[in-house]
Amino acid sequence: MELITEYITGISNQFFDPKKRVFLIYILLSILIAFFWFVFYKKKSLLSSFKKIFDKKVFFSTSSKSDYKVFLINQMIMMLISPFLITQLAIATTLYFYFHTINWLSVGMYSNTLPIVFISLFTIFQFTLDDFSKFIIHRFMHKWPILWSIHKVHHSATTLTPMTVFRTHPLEGIIFSIRSSVTQAVSISVFFFLFGNSVDLFTILGVNIFVFLFNIFGSNLRHSHIGIRYWQWLEHILISPAQHQLHHSIAREHHDKNFGSALACWDWMFGSLHHSIEFENLQIGIKKNQIENSHSLSSLYVGPLIEINNFIIKKFLKTKSKFIELFSKTGLVNDNKIN
Amino acid sequence: MKKTFILIFTIFISFSFVKTSLADVYGPYPITLQGYDGDKTNSVKYTGQMARHALHDSLKALVKTGDVSKMMAYYNGEDNLEIIAPKSKDDFVVKQTMISEIGSGNLSGKMYKGYIPGWGNLTGPEAIEHMMTKAGEVEGGFDPDTGMDYTQLISKFAMGAVFYNQAVNNYLGKKMEIGQKPNNKPYKDGAYYTGKEHSWDEAFGYWGSAAHALTLNAEENYNVAKKKDMASADYNGDGVVDLYSEYTYAHAYYASSYDKGGKTNYLATINQAFINGREIIRDADGRNLSFDERTKLLAKRDVIRDNWQKVIAESVFKYAGSTYKDLVKLETIMEANGDTTEAFRTYAKHWGELKGFALALQCGPDDLGETAVKMNRMMGFGPVLLNSSQVVGVDSQGNFIKDQAQDWSEFKLHMLKIQKLMEDEFGVTAKSKDMLSDMADLSGKIGSADSAEND
Repeated sequence: MELITEYITGISNQFFDPKKRVFLIYILLSILIAFFWFVFYKKKSLLSSFKKIFDKKVFFSTSSKSDYKVFLINQMIMMLISPFLITQLAIATTLYFYFHTINWLSVGMYSNTLPIVFISLFTIFQFTLDDFSKFIIHRFMHKWPILWSIHKVHHSATTLTPMTVFRTHPLEGIIFSIRSSVTQAVSISVFFFLFGNSVDLFTILGVNIFVFLFNIFGSNLRHSHIGIRYWQWLEHILISPAQHQLHHSIAREHHDKNFGSALACWDWMFGSLHHSIEFENLQIGIKKNQIENSHSLSSLYVGPLIEINNFIIKKFLKTKSKFIELFSKTGLVNDNKIN
Repeated sequence: MKKTFILIFTIFISFSFVKTSLADVYGPYPITLQGYDGDKTNSVKYTGQMARHALHDSLKALVKTGDVSKMMAYYNGEDNLEIIAPKSKDDFVVKQTMISEIGSGNLSGKMYKGYIPGWGNLTGPEAIEHMMTKAGEVEGGFDPDTGMDYTQLISKFAMGAVFYNQAVNNYLGKKMEIGQKPNNKPYKDGAYYTGKEHSWDEAFGYWGSAAHALTLNAEENYNVAKKKDMASADYNGDGVVDLYSEYTYAHAYYASSYDKGGKTNYLATINQAFINGREIIRDADGRNLSFDERTKLLAKRDVIRDNWQKVIAESVFKYAGSTYKDLVKLETIMEANGDTTEAFRTYAKHWGELKGFALALQCGPDDLGETAVKMNRMMGFGPVLLNSSQVVGVDSQGNFIKDQAQDWSEFKLHMLKIQKLMEDEFGVTAKSKDMLSDMADLSGKIGSADSAEND
């Protein structure tokens, strides 16, 4: 019974907690931004804007329905797993202890700094480090075959809605949770050690002010069919919704582009930035003619595990044959026996 | 008919009220000893324990005089001793002026007899006598050469080695065992209370709370110990505070200090367990406890032991935090080439309290094993001194041996690790002077990523 209550609370928290991406106010603001985009920029009527924004084909597609199911299932899985995951406080405490052993550091060495300075620094640092870690992990998720098998679940979406953020394999959820714990622990422990116990965060509704701004300015439109674009200069700094949608495009030239979450500068620095393009219907997914089965729950949950297993077996066999080849050359293995 | 009903109802309500309020006070409890034909009506007696609390408070006040013979007089509970503490203060008027007016007893005979690994492996009595001797060699009970604050060391150690030890090891330990101090016999020949009654009462006395502590909140109990709340202390309304039953001493005082923070309820939990346990014995009505009664009594005993141990662990936690803060402050002063005298004195005081409570914690029924080893090593025999030396042991003549100290940063880290140890091993929750609480608060404010999301 307690488990069910916790589960339902967890689900509702996603929509009523300002720390969550799909907090209803953020969704509402995204809808307003979308209207603004269509009416004032695209010069469409209110009715046609409405039809475009609340497109039935998008929200009730097989892909989107899978997103909703995955959201509900993952909520339960993560609820059961999260107590076993290392917390940011445990890591922060270990790091804080470790800093005490470094001779050239002393606790509170910059504690005389004005609070407004170190609170601002902490707020910026925490947001930037978190965003960079998201970028770098995302990049790895695309570059390493095993990680790609997992991340592919997210990219198998053929329509994008704000709920597509939850189309994530639980293994990837664990990776993201660890990433988040580590980055938060680093920023908290470093700042506490250097600036003392008054370190704090500038927040709005309890959320880092930058995360809040990111969310009220339409973070939910990243996963949508509304291709809002920014000025080119701004797309070097902030990722526009259209840039992220392009990241989901099946077009070869869009592969491995725009890994960033809020900031585009990481992609710019690492050479993976791609400016947004004008499109009516961008083809989203992994490949052309993607089979309908890629949205089934078994495919989404078990598929990556099979792929990882096959990958490991393939690697093992390849290494084995290399060893045999090496030893047969050195004469340590009898060729007849191998045959 | 209606009037009769109202009368019965009123009597019933009044009776319930009296019963409820009496249940919040430890005693009086009727005589249950079979065959007793004397004129006593109350079987509760723990005068010796409260006299020892006054001896301890007086001894603590005497340390700064450096008068070893006077200290020893109170330690040994000699005759005709004046109460040096607690004394009347402003409108807080204390009833007794002589120890003998409370009861008789000594501290020396009740010391923990085992080894004290954190104090040169001396036995309990040897360790405290060593401290008193050393206190006699310095001014004001403080030795700036070693950083030893004997007022704190003696007081905090004695609270553990006498009160905690006697209560949990002896009266709630050995004397609760089957065949020990049976309930169908007097505690000793000629006594008007049974074996179990008196054992339980003695343990309650060592705990140090006022008998009516449950009628007060944590803040009020704390203020009684601070002599700031006469109204709360004077339960019987006779205009004076009876040091036998109306005052808060020792660990009960520390419990109230943590409880007033609102995170814990040690004092009420322990007092309630003492009262409930005593009621089980009362209800046995002078016969041996049944298996069921004994099981219930031991469950209450366990509540008392566990929470009492936590109160001491909370104190270790608190003073490790204070010491850490002092170390940081000293470091800042030293970097600025400032005067460290006052800050060093505060540091030594807090370290002395830390050490005293840590030694006390080791006087309980459990062998703390690795926890004790870690704790003793991390806090050291003495505090790290400003010249990077530290007391590391004691020679056969009782002289301190000094050597190269732990690294200053390492010592600071050890204070944090001691706090973590108390949290991990004893589950402390009041966590006064928690050096990591702000970090935990900020961590909570940022929140955790516990849902599977792709950005």
